[in-house]
Amino acid sequence: MKTIATFGLLILVASMALGGMTSSVYAQDDPEILIKIAKGAEKQIHDQITSDSSDKVKRLFEEGKDHVDALEKALRSDNMESAREHFLSAMKIFKEISRHLAVSDAAPQAETATMSTAVKDPTNDLQRLQKYVNSLKTIAKKHDASIDFSELDELFTDARKQISDHQFELALETLREIKGEIVKINKELREESSKQETQRAKDYAQKYLEQLDRLIEHAKKQGVDAEIIEKLEKARENLSSADNPKEIVKEIRKIMSIKDQFELTKSDRLESRILQVEKTLLRLSQADGVDPKDLEDTRETLASIKRHLSEGEFDTANELLRDLARQLQEIKNSL
Amino acid sequence: MNPEIVPIHRKESLREDGMLFVRTEGILETMVNAPLVIAGLMVIALTIPIQTSFSSTRTLDLTLYSDGSAHITYQLDIDPLEPDFEVNLFGPSVDNFVAVGENGFLLSSEITDDKVTIDTFGSSTITIDYDIHDLISKEGRVWTFSLNSPTDYSLLMPPNSIIVGMDALPSNMDLVNDQTKLELGSGLSEINYIFGTVTPPVTNPPVTNPPITNPDQPTFDASTFALIGIPVAAAAAGAIIAIKKKQTKSSTLQTATVSETKTDSDAIDTETIFNLRPEIREDDKEIIKFISENGGQALESELRKKFLQPRTTMWRAVKRLERQGIIEITKKDLQNLVKLKKELEEEE
Repeated sequence: MKTIATFGLLILVASMALGGMTSSVYAQDDPEILIKIAKGAEKQIHDQITSDSSDKVKRLFEEGKDHVDALEKALRSDNMESAREHFLSAMKIFKEISRHLAVSDAAPQAETATMSTAVKDPTNDLQRLQKYVNSLKTIAKKHDASIDFSELDELFTDARKQISDHQFELALETLREIKGEIVKINKELREESSKQETQRAKDYAQKYLEQLDRLIEHAKKQGVDAEIIEKLEKARENLSSADNPKEIVKEIRKIMSIKDQFELTKSDRLESRILQVEKTLLRLSQADGVDPKDLEDTRETLASIKRHLSEGEFDTANELLRDLARQLQEIKNSL
Repeated sequence: MNPEIVPIHRKESLREDGMLFVRTEGILETMVNAPLVIAGLMVIALTIPIQTSFSSTRTLDLTLYSDGSAHITYQLDIDPLEPDFEVNLFGPSVDNFVAVGENGFLLSSEITDDKVTIDTFGSSTITIDYDIHDLISKEGRVWTFSLNSPTDYSLLMPPNSIIVGMDALPSNMDLVNDQTKLELGSGLSEINYIFGTVTPPVTNPPVTNPPITNPDQPTFDASTFALIGIPVAAAAAGAIIAIKKKQTKSSTLQTATVSETKTDSDAIDTETIFNLRPEIREDDKEIIKFISENGGQALESELRKKFLQPRTTMWRAVKRLERQGIIEITKKDLQNLVKLKKELEEEE
């Protein structure tokens, strides 16, 4: 018995240790990329080194070059461990050289930086704002909000033209106008979304209330202290009367705190998992190529899980949930 | 609820001589109850999949810009039972933050320093997008990107950037529109890069082309023409003036009046413009009237002064009228000269 137990213990420890390691093990999909990066850096550094460069820089470059050669050799002999080491060493040296060269270039660079400040090209600002506005457009479409983006589009066209004409000052002014427009649109969009958010918060609160009802019912069956049940019922009442998102969050946080306080969170994780499984099921039912019979089976399992959960049979529910997750994964894999 | 944990050795009484007796035989059974440990480990092992299924990262994508800022797109699986969710941002200097739920709906959020609390209300997935200015520093020509990532991520390097140092091992590398895209693992990574010297380190460099010189052909660019043309034109003008001076004052006045009238009559009148282009905005009509009254042309700066408009607003108005084929823009002494067209053109 002792041997079996020790053996089991070893297997479990080993499997957990290896399981934990899998995420940190690094997979090099294409080892050639290491040589591409290292060679690129080597070439760049080589181009920067002049006869005036210090001996230290020249010596370091030779060292870095040696590591790149060693990296190539290691890759040819499929010695990944050595390849990684040489790659990191080479890149470390090239970084050091770049820093040395940067310091020696510092004075002219500072001048260039000052000069460039005067006529700053706002291309990146424009790109960032364009990306942001594209997100807002997608959201507006999703919310079915009738927001007019034409003025903003026109401003973007103008800014692009101004940048291409090197009229950076004008472009910066246009960007300021764009930001102003974005503030307005953002306000409109948030107003629009807050209407729908209230509804979503209410739906969410409703689901939470249902879950809370099950919990209270179960707590009563288990003979939990009347004072705790009273607290939960009071919190339930407060949540059902909450009608704005902030209030709903506040009330749910209070309920969670009561649950934590009295160690009633056991079912919460299972409930969360069920919600996730339900969503996966919904997505799969909308996907092409899924056998309806398979989905029917999973729905039956889900109903059974819910039944077990409401009866307080957490272990059985947990076990079934695992089976269901496997079933869903198989369906996903078959697509 | 929380029973006090009593160390096992306290239960053993000390021998009379005060020495602590340690049994080595069967110590494993004494210290560790193997079946209990196995049961415990099994519970831990079984709960791992559930624990990791909540608030785990689906994707993390970073785009670096040439000016040292970065864009982050972060997709997370979260607990659908939670009403809100707190996410650590990668720094406090954040712009253009957007959080959307699984259905693409905008989620309310509140940023405090480098944390954001998002009202998720049952969403099981959230996607957040933001720009950040805390990940890249610059020393001389060398830019350094540094990130301690909780998960694997993709990194799109700025255009024309060349990596000159890194302390992380990329798992993959791709070229996306001539930009290097790296796949990196979780943990702290630092990448040093510089911008290539061949092309300027700006994204989408301006389209304006420098004058192309072909060594095989003689170079007659605008400046050459200007150098030769201007003195010739000045000489011609001087000769004409000298001839004109011989004519009477009255005839000069007549010519000037005719010329001025000609300028007016050359440009199409405002009423015709408004009839042909009924969609013109009221403020644009005022600009057209002013130009017309000003002899059919005006400097853009004059328009700005007249209508007290900011530079860009007026520039847009002028460009709008140009698109509508009503005016044309030419350069005069490095300024924009706006002229009414003689005939209305098709809209662009």
